[in-house]
Amino acid sequence: MMRRSASKKTGQPNSTNPITYSPSDLFRTASSKASSKEMERIDNLFYAYANRSSGMIDPEGIETLCSDMEVDHTDVRILMLAWKMRAEKQGYFILEEWRRGLKALRADTVSKLRKALPELEKEIRRPSNFVDFYSYSFRYCLTEEKQKSIDIESICQLLDLVLGSQFRAQVDYFIDYLKIQSDYKVINMDQWMGFFRFCNEISFPDLNNYNPDLAWPLVLDNFVEWMQAKQS
Amino acid sequence: MSLPPTKRSLSNANSNATASSSSSSSPHFHPSMKKAKSQAVACSLDPNKNGLHHHHNQDDNDVVFDPSSMALDDDSKPDDARAPAAANLSRKKATPPQPAKKLVIKLVKAKPTLPTNFEEETWAKLKSAINAIFLKQPDSCDLEKLYQAVNNLCLHKMGGSLYQRIEKECEEHISAALRSLVGQSPDLVVFLSLVEKCWQDLCDQMLMIRGIALYLDRTYVKQTPNVRSLWDMGLQLFRKHLSLASEVEHKTVTGLLRMIESERLGEAVERTLLNHLLKMFTALGIYSESFEKPFLECTSEFYAAEGMKYMQQSDVPDYLKHVEMRLHEEHERCLLYLDALTRKPLIATAERQLLERHIPAILDKGFMMLMDGHRIEDLQRMYSLFSRVNALESLRQALSSYIRRTGQGIVLDEEKDKDMVPSLLEFKASLDSIWEESFSKNEAFCNTIKDAFEHLINLRQNRPAELIAKFLDEKLRAGNKGTSEEELEGTLDKVLVLFRFIQGKDVFEAFYKKDLAKRLLLGKSASIDAEKSMISKLKTECGSQFTNKLEGMFKDIELSKEINESFKQSSQARIKLPSGIEMSVHVLTTGYWPTYPPMDVRLPHELNVYQDIFKEFYLSKYSGRRLMWQNSLGHCVLKADFPKGKKELAVSLFQTVVLMLFNDAQKLSFQDIKDSTGIEDKELRRTLQSLACGKVRVLQKLPKGRDVEDDDSFVFNEGFTAPLYRLKVNAIQMKETVEENTSTTERVFQDRQYQVDAAIVRIMKTRKVLSHTLLITELFQQLKFPIKPADLKKRIESLIDREYLERDKNNPQIYNYLA
Repeated sequence: MMRRSASKKTGQPNSTNPITYSPSDLFRTASSKASSKEMERIDNLFYAYANRSSGMIDPEGIETLCSDMEVDHTDVRILMLAWKMRAEKQGYFILEEWRRGLKALRADTVSKLRKALPELEKEIRRPSNFVDFYSYSFRYCLTEEKQKSIDIESICQLLDLVLGSQFRAQVDYFIDYLKIQSDYKVINMDQWMGFFRFCNEISFPDLNNYNPDLAWPLVLDNFVEWMQAKQS
Repeated sequence: MSLPPTKRSLSNANSNATASSSSSSSPHFHPSMKKAKSQAVACSLDPNKNGLHHHHNQDDNDVVFDPSSMALDDDSKPDDARAPAAANLSRKKATPPQPAKKLVIKLVKAKPTLPTNFEEETWAKLKSAINAIFLKQPDSCDLEKLYQAVNNLCLHKMGGSLYQRIEKECEEHISAALRSLVGQSPDLVVFLSLVEKCWQDLCDQMLMIRGIALYLDRTYVKQTPNVRSLWDMGLQLFRKHLSLASEVEHKTVTGLLRMIESERLGEAVERTLLNHLLKMFTALGIYSESFEKPFLECTSEFYAAEGMKYMQQSDVPDYLKHVEMRLHEEHERCLLYLDALTRKPLIATAERQLLERHIPAILDKGFMMLMDGHRIEDLQRMYSLFSRVNALESLRQALSSYIRRTGQGIVLDEEKDKDMVPSLLEFKASLDSIWEESFSKNEAFCNTIKDAFEHLINLRQNRPAELIAKFLDEKLRAGNKGTSEEELEGTLDKVLVLFRFIQGKDVFEAFYKKDLAKRLLLGKSASIDAEKSMISKLKTECGSQFTNKLEGMFKDIELSKEINESFKQSSQARIKLPSGIEMSVHVLTTGYWPTYPPMDVRLPHELNVYQDIFKEFYLSKYSGRRLMWQNSLGHCVLKADFPKGKKELAVSLFQTVVLMLFNDAQKLSFQDIKDSTGIEDKELRRTLQSLACGKVRVLQKLPKGRDVEDDDSFVFNEGFTAPLYRLKVNAIQMKETVEENTSTTERVFQDRQYQVDAAIVRIMKTRKVLSHTLLITELFQQLKFPIKPADLKKRIESLIDREYLERDKNNPQIYNYLA
C-alpha cells in the first residue's frame, strides 16, 4: 500500500519535540542488546494491531488498540499519542512511527502504554510543547494531497478536542460563530494558529485588548465584531 | 532759572488769553480754553503782558537794592551798552553771585533791613486779591503790583510760607465750592452742569492765581523738591475735596453713566457736557479708577442684557447688523467724548458681550439659513464680525458641517441620483461665490470646502463616480442642442472639479470608457474636439497612464477610417462584394476598449459574405491578428418600403437581423424569430420590444402589450406612417442595461483586487520582511481607490494561502516574502 501522502511540511514538525530521535540515533540505540529486546517487544505489539496486507495499523487496528487500553478512540490522548509518534496520516500508524513513539514512552505493552498516557498529557500541556501539538493536530487532519484547509464542521470538533479543556469559553463562542457565519467554509493553518494566539493573548470575554488593526486574521476580526454586537 | 524759558511761557499764557479756542497748548491749560472765558480774566491777564517788562525792571531792581553792586555795574557798563539783551543774559549767568559775596565782605554795616511787617502786609494784598478772584470780584490792586509783591516775597526767601498761605487760601475756597454742590439738584443733568461750572471756575481761578504767582512757580516750586506747581496744587486740592464730598463724585459718575446709557438707548444727550466732565476726570487723574472701571462694567452689563434680548427677538442677519452698528457707535463715542485709551477695552467689552458669548447660538440659529439663502452680504458681515473676536474657527467648522449636511442630502438620496451631479455643481458654485465674496477668499475656508466636498462625494462609494461619468456622457452626446462650445468647455471644467474629489477614479474611468466607446462606435459624439479636450483635461489631472487606453480608442477610430478607405479601393472589395450593401468596420484593439460579452447572431447571408471578404482583406494586410465580430455594437441603415411610404431606418444589427426576416414572411412567432436569428433570449426580447412597442412601431405585436411574452407573434406593420423620412430606432443601443452596469462595476472591483495583490507583492518583494501595520500604511499610500483595511487583510491572507507570503513564526505581526 502507498506510503502516505507525505508532504514536506508534515515530515518535519517545526517545533521542538522534547525527545527527538533522528533515524540514525534510533539505529544506534537499537544496536545495544537490551534495547534490541525492548524493540522486539515493541515490534511485536505493532504487528498485533497491524493490518497484515498493508503492514500498518489502520483505523480498525487503532480502534482495537483503544479498546484494549480502555480509552475512547476519539479521546484527545489518542491524538497525543499520534503526536508523540509523529504520525503523518490520520488513522494510520506505520512501524517507524510506532517505534519512535513507544520507545520514547518506554512502553512495550498495552498496559505500559496506557500508564504512560497521563505522563504524555502532562508533557504536552507544557506551553512549549502545546503549540507544536496544536499545530500538529491541524496538519494531522489534512488527509488529501495539497489540502491546506479544513472544513468548518471538522474544525469545530478539533477545537473542542484540543482547546476545549483549556479555553472553554473562547472555544464555545468561536464554534457558535463559525456555525452561524457564512463567509468561511474552511479554516486554514494561519487562521487556526491565529485563534490559539487569540486565546492566549486576548482578555475574554471583554476583548479589551483586541485591536483589529493588528495582523489578526480577518475571521477573528469578524468574530470579535460579532461578540461585541452580541454583548451590546 | 534762566530768562528765555520764562519769556516763552509767559507769552504762552498770553496767547491762551487772546486766542481762546486754540488747542495746541499743554493739557494744563486745557480747561481755560472755554468759550465762556470771562471778560474779566482776559483783562486782568492783559497787564501780564507788561509783566515781561517788569521783569526786566526787576532785574534792575536787584541792583538798585544793592548799592554796593552799583560799582560793579559800572564796571560792566560797556557790556550793557553794547547789547542790552545779551548783557542781561550773560550778567544773569555770571555776575550775581560775585557782587553778593563782595557785598557781604565789604559793607557789613550798610546792610538794609526790611520793614518788620513787610511779609504780612504783602500777603494781605495778595490774600485780598486771591479772595477777589475766588469770589469773582474786581480787586483794587492791579495785577502788576501783585506780581511785584510775589516777586519780592520770593526774593526775600519767603516763598515757602507764601506757597503755604496760597495753598491754605485755595483749599478753603475749593472745599467750600465742592461742599456747596452737596445736595444740589436731584436732576442729574442739571447737577452735572453745576459740577462742570464749578470745575470751569476752578480752572479759570487757578490760572489767574498762577499768573499772579508765576514767579513763585518758577523759583520756589522749581527749586524745592516734592512741591507741586500751583496748577497741580489746585488740581490736587480739587481731587481731595471731591473725594471728601463723595456724594458729589458718586453723583457725577452715576450721572455720566446714565447719560451714556440714555444715549445708547437712542436719546440725544449733551455731548459737550460729557466731554468736559470726562476731561476733568482725566485732568484730575481719576479717569480710569473712578470712571472707566464702572463705565466698562456698566457697558458689559448693558450689552450682556441687550445681546440676550436681541438674540431672542431678532433673526441673525438683523442681529449682526445691530452688532455692527453698536460697535460703530462705541467707536464714535471714543472719538467724541471718551478718553482714547478707553477704546480698546470698550470695544472688547462690547464684542465679548454681543458676539463672543453668542457665537454658537448665532451659528446654530442663522448660519444654515444664510448659506441656504446665499446671503452674500450678511455672511460677509458675519465673517468680518467673527474675525474680530477670533471666532473664524467656529465659522469654519460650521461651514464644514453645513457642506457635509447639505451635501449628504444630495449624495445619499438614491431617488435623486439623476440630479446628483447638477446639484453638486450648483452647490459648489454657490459655495465658491460665497467664499470669494463673503469669506474674503480665506485660505483655510477654501481647504475646508475642498475637504468637505471630498468627504461627501465619497460618502457613497463608486456611485458618484459613475454618475459623473454619465453626466459627461450626456453632455458629450450628440443632440445636446443649445449649448455652445464654450459652455460645454465650462461645464467640463466644473465637472472636473468634482472628479478631482473622487477617490475611486477607476470607477469613473470604467464608466467613462464604456460610454465613450458607444459614442464613438455609434457615431453619437457631439464633437470630437470636445471629446479630445476632455481627454486632455483628464490627462493633466491624472497623468497619461490614466488616459492611455482612452487615447488608444481614438487612435483605433482614426485607423479604422483608413482601413475602410483602403478596403474600398482593394481588389477583393471591387470583385467580390455583394451589391446593394455598404459596410464600414471599426477595428478595435482589445484592451483599449471595454470588454463586451460575445453575442451570437445568425447574420443574413449578404452580411456574412461581406464580413468574410473584409476579414480576408484585413488579415492579408495584418497577418497574425485575430478578428472577432462584436455583433452587439453593429448598427445599420435599412431601406424599408412601407405601403404608405418609403423610409430609411437607423437600427442596430440585431434589429436588422430581425427585420430582414420579414422580407420573406408576414407573421412570425417569437420562437420562430428566436430560432432563425439565434439572438440571446433577453436581448431578443429587448430588440422586439424596441421594434413593436416603442415610439417607432415598424412591427406589430400580437397580442398587444408592453412586454414580449413567449407566445407572442409579430407582423409587419402595413399601416406604418411617420412624418420623417429617416427614423432612428436604435436608441436601445445607447441605453445602458442593468447587466452592462453590473459587469462594469464588477470589472472595476476585480481590477482592484489584482491591483491590491500586485501592490502587496511589489512592496513585500522590496522589503522582504515587513510588519502588518507598515504594510497596510504603504498600501494605503499606493492604492488610488478607497479600500477598507478588512479588504486588504483578505488579500494578504489570500497571498499567505497562495504562499507568496508567510507569517513570521516568532512574530505573528510580521510577514516574510516567499521568493
